[in-house]
Amino acid sequence: MLKVEVKNLFKEYSGRQVLKGITFSVQKGEFFVLLGPNGSGKTTLLKILDLLEEPTSGEVWLNGEPVDYSSSKERVMLRRRIGMVFQQTVLFNMSVLDNVAYPLKVRGERNFEQKVKSVLELVQLKGFERKNALTLSGGEAQRVAIAQALVTEPELLLLDEPTANLDPKNASIVEEVISHINREKEITIIMTTHNVSQVENLADRVAILDGGRMELLGTFQEIFRSPSPNKNLAMDNIFHGVSRITNEGTSIIDIGDGMHIEAAFKRVGNVTIHVPPEDIILSKYPLISSARNTFEGTITQITDIGHIVRLRVKVMSSKDFIVQVTKRSFNEMQLNIGSKVYIAFKASSVQAN
Amino acid sequence: MYTIKHNGNMKIVSETLAVFLVLVVVIVSVFAYEWHICSQKSIIALATTTSTYDSGLLEYLMPYFQEKYGIAVHIISVGTGQAIEIARRGDVDLVLVHSTQLELEFVNSGCGVHRIGVMYNDFVIIGPANDPAGISGLKNATEAFRRIAEEGAKNNAKFISRADKSGTHMLELSIWKKLNLRPLNKTWYVEAGSGMGAVLRMANEMNAYTLTDRATWLSFKNQLTNLRVLVEDDVVLLNPYAIILVNPEKYPKRNYEGALMLAKWMISEEGQNLIASFKKWGETLFKPMARNIELAHLLGFPEQEKELAWYDMQEPWV
Amino acid sequence: MGLKVSGGVCILYEGIFWEEVLNITLLSLKVSGLATLIGALIGIPIGTFLGLRRFKGKRTIMRFVDVIMKTIVNTFMGLPPVVVGLIVYLLLTASGPLGWLGLLYTPMAMIITQLIIVIPIIIGITMSAVGSIEKSIREKALSLGATETQAALLVLREARMGVLSSIIAAFGAAISEVGGIMITGGNIRWWTRTLTTAIVIETELGNFTMALTLGAILLTIAFIINLALTIIQVKGARE
Repeated sequence: MLKVEVKNLFKEYSGRQVLKGITFSVQKGEFFVLLGPNGSGKTTLLKILDLLEEPTSGEVWLNGEPVDYSSSKERVMLRRRIGMVFQQTVLFNMSVLDNVAYPLKVRGERNFEQKVKSVLELVQLKGFERKNALTLSGGEAQRVAIAQALVTEPELLLLDEPTANLDPKNASIVEEVISHINREKEITIIMTTHNVSQVENLADRVAILDGGRMELLGTFQEIFRSPSPNKNLAMDNIFHGVSRITNEGTSIIDIGDGMHIEAAFKRVGNVTIHVPPEDIILSKYPLISSARNTFEGTITQITDIGHIVRLRVKVMSSKDFIVQVTKRSFNEMQLNIGSKVYIAFKASSVQAN
Repeated sequence: MYTIKHNGNMKIVSETLAVFLVLVVVIVSVFAYEWHICSQKSIIALATTTSTYDSGLLEYLMPYFQEKYGIAVHIISVGTGQAIEIARRGDVDLVLVHSTQLELEFVNSGCGVHRIGVMYNDFVIIGPANDPAGISGLKNATEAFRRIAEEGAKNNAKFISRADKSGTHMLELSIWKKLNLRPLNKTWYVEAGSGMGAVLRMANEMNAYTLTDRATWLSFKNQLTNLRVLVEDDVVLLNPYAIILVNPEKYPKRNYEGALMLAKWMISEEGQNLIASFKKWGETLFKPMARNIELAHLLGFPEQEKELAWYDMQEPWV
Repeated sequence: MGLKVSGGVCILYEGIFWEEVLNITLLSLKVSGLATLIGALIGIPIGTFLGLRRFKGKRTIMRFVDVIMKTIVNTFMGLPPVVVGLIVYLLLTASGPLGWLGLLYTPMAMIITQLIIVIPIIIGITMSAVGSIEKSIREKALSLGATETQAALLVLREARMGVLSSIIAAFGAAISEVGGIMITGGNIRWWTRTLTTAIVIETELGNFTMALTLGAILLTIAFIINLALTIIQVKGARE
C-alpha cells in the first residue's frame, strides 16, 4: 500500500497556473477525497500522482521516497503500482476480457483468465467477457474501467469523478463497488467528486480544492458539520436566506429578490441551503406538480459532460440554478441558450448546511 | 505483491515485428521480381504517331514480325513532335513518322540515322455535305484552303486544326503558309489539340472542314454522317512515312540491332507486300514506297537508293 | 451515334477480345495493387510516427516542425497524378538521371508513379486516424502500466480501421488514375495498357464496345472498394 505525500506542488500550462502550492499527505490504506468545482485542478493533480504528467515544481513522495519524474523507467515502474479511473471512460476496441487483461499482458503475465473473471465479478459484470467493450452502456463501461484499474491489485487507486457521468442506477453500483474495495482491500484511495453524499459515506478525510489551491482539509465532520463559508465552494445551488416555519411543519426561506423556497426541515433564522442539481426537474412548459418549488427561468449556460448536460438557469434575473438533465432529455427538449424553462424541486430536496 | 516481467513488453513487440517482417519480405520480393523483369526484357521500342497507330496498320503488321523473329515490339503512339522528342531522348529504338521537316531536323541533329522512306498514304480534305466553301472535286488542295478561309471570314465555314504538332498539323500549316495566311485566332479556325479521331468527331458535330489522313477517315467514316471527302489526289496531299533509327553512338544502351531488324523487315519485299495488303473497309490504306526510287525522290527522299543499299547490306539478313 | 456494335460482336466471338480484357484488368490490378502494398509498407509507419505527435511539445521549434510536416503531407496528398507522371517520366527518360535503370514504358514505371501518388494518401489518412485517438488511448494505456512502446502499438491497433481505410482509399485512387501512368507507361498494348489508359485509346479509336466493357469492369472494382470502405466505417465506428 502506498503512502502519498505531496509537497508544495505547482503545475503550469502555457502560462496558466493550474496548481498552486498543493501540500497534503495520504496515509496507507486511507480513503482521501478531493472536492472542488470544475477547473480547480483535481484532474491535473491526479494525473501528476499517476505519473502521467510532471509537476512544474514541488515534490511527490511515495512511501517515503521522492519520485524522479525525469526517469521514464521509474515512472513506468511506479505507474504499475497505481491504478487510475478517468472521468471520461476510454476503452479499447476489443472484448471486455481483452480490455481487462491488457494491464496484465503489458506486465508479461500469461495466465490472466482467472484474475479477469474474478475482478469482473467484483464490478458486477459477470458474463460480459466476450462482449465488445465499445457496445457497453456508460455505466457498464465505467465499471470495466474500474476492473482494469483493479485487476493488477494496485497499491494506490486514483478515481477521477467516477460517477459524474453515470445515471443513478449505475452510479450506485459503482459506489457499492468502491465502498466494497475500501472495506475489503487495504488500498490507498484518492477520489475526486462533486457528490457530497459520497464524501460522507466513503471518505476518511476530505480536501477542498479551488482555483488550484487547497482551501480546506479535514474529516467530513470537521468540514461539513461545522459552519464555515468555504465548504460551499464544492457545491452548486447554494443560497443564503432567512427561514421561518410554516403551519404544515415545513420552512419557507426568503432568499432575496422576492424568491421563496420551501424546505422539508424546520429551521428559523439565517440559513444556508443548497439544492442538488440532480433533484431539479426541468420543463419547457409550466408544471403543475406536487413539487413545492416551481420557478420560471432562462437558460444562460450549457455544459455537456457526456451522458449528462448541466444547465445554468437564471431565475428572477438574479438567482442561478444549476440543473442536471440526461443528454437524451436535453436533445428531446431541444433546449438552447435563452430558452425559457420552468424548474421544479421538492421541499425534501432542499438541504441545509 | 507481484513482480514486473519485462519480457511482456518484448513479447508483444516481437510478435508484431515478425508478422510485419514476413509481409515486408513477400511484398518486396514481388516488387523486386517485377523490377527485374521490366528492366531486362528484350524488346524493340517503336515510337509512332497516333494517326499511324490508330489506323490499325501496326497492330496488323507486328504479329507477323513477332512470330517470325520472336521479339516483342512495343509501340508508343503519340503526336509526331512528341515521337521525335522521345527518340531524341533515347527512350525508343526507332521512329515511324510522317513529317519531313521534323524528320530532317532529327537527322541533322545527329540523333537519328539512316532515314528511309517506307510507305505513303494520302490526306484528304473533308467537310460538310453541303460544302459552303464549294471545294468539292477540286484537285488543288491549296486552292481549297483559300476558299475555306474566304467563306470562314464570312462566317459560313469552320476549319478544325489538329493543333498538336502532328504530321497532319504540319502539313496543314504548310498549306496555309503557301497562301501567306495566318489562321490563328480567327473565329472560323478551331484549334483542337487532339488526335485525329477526336478532331473528326468534332468536325462532324460542328459541320466543319478539316484535313485528315485517309486511313483515319475510313476508320471513322460510319460515325461521321455529316461529312464527305471533298478534295483528294493533290501531290501536296501525299503523305510519306519514314523510318529513322536512333543513333547507337548517342544511345548505346538501346536495342539498335532489334531496330535494324524491324526496319529491314518493313522495307523488305515481305514487309512491303504486307503493308499493301492491309485493307480497311475494302480499301488499301498505305502504299509501299521503299523500293520505288522515283516516287521516293518525289516525296522528299533524295538518298533513298543509298539508304536502301546500306540496309540491304546489314546483318542480320531478313 | 455509331456504336461499332456489329464490329464489336464479331471481335467478341473471335475470343481475342476477352483475352485482351483479361490482360488489361490483371495489369491494372497488379500495378495498382503492388503500388498500394508497397505504399502501405512505407506510409503506415511514417503516418503512425507523425500521428503519434513526436513533435508535440512546449518548444516552439517542435510545433513549427509539426506544422511544416502536416502541410507537406497535405500538399502531397493533393498532388495532381499527371504532374507526378511528368516528374517520373523526366527522371526515367534515357537522358534523365535514372535513365540507366531502363524502366521507362514498363509496368514498373507505372508502379513507381502510383507509389508516389499513393504514399501521401496513406500517410495522411493514417496520421489522421492515429492522431485523433492518440491522446486518449496513449494516456489510458500508460495509466494501465504500458511502456511508451506498448502504448504506441496499442494506439496503432486501435486505429487499425482507419489505417485499413487508408489502404483501400489509396487503392481506389490508384486504380482509377490515368494521366500519370499514361505518360510513364506509354499505353503499350499488352504491356502497359491498364483499364483507364485502355479506355482512353479505345474511345479515341471509336471502339465503344470495348471501352464500355472496360468501363464496366472499372466501375465494378470501384464499387467493391467503396463497399469495403463503408463496411469498415460501419463496423469500426467508435461511439
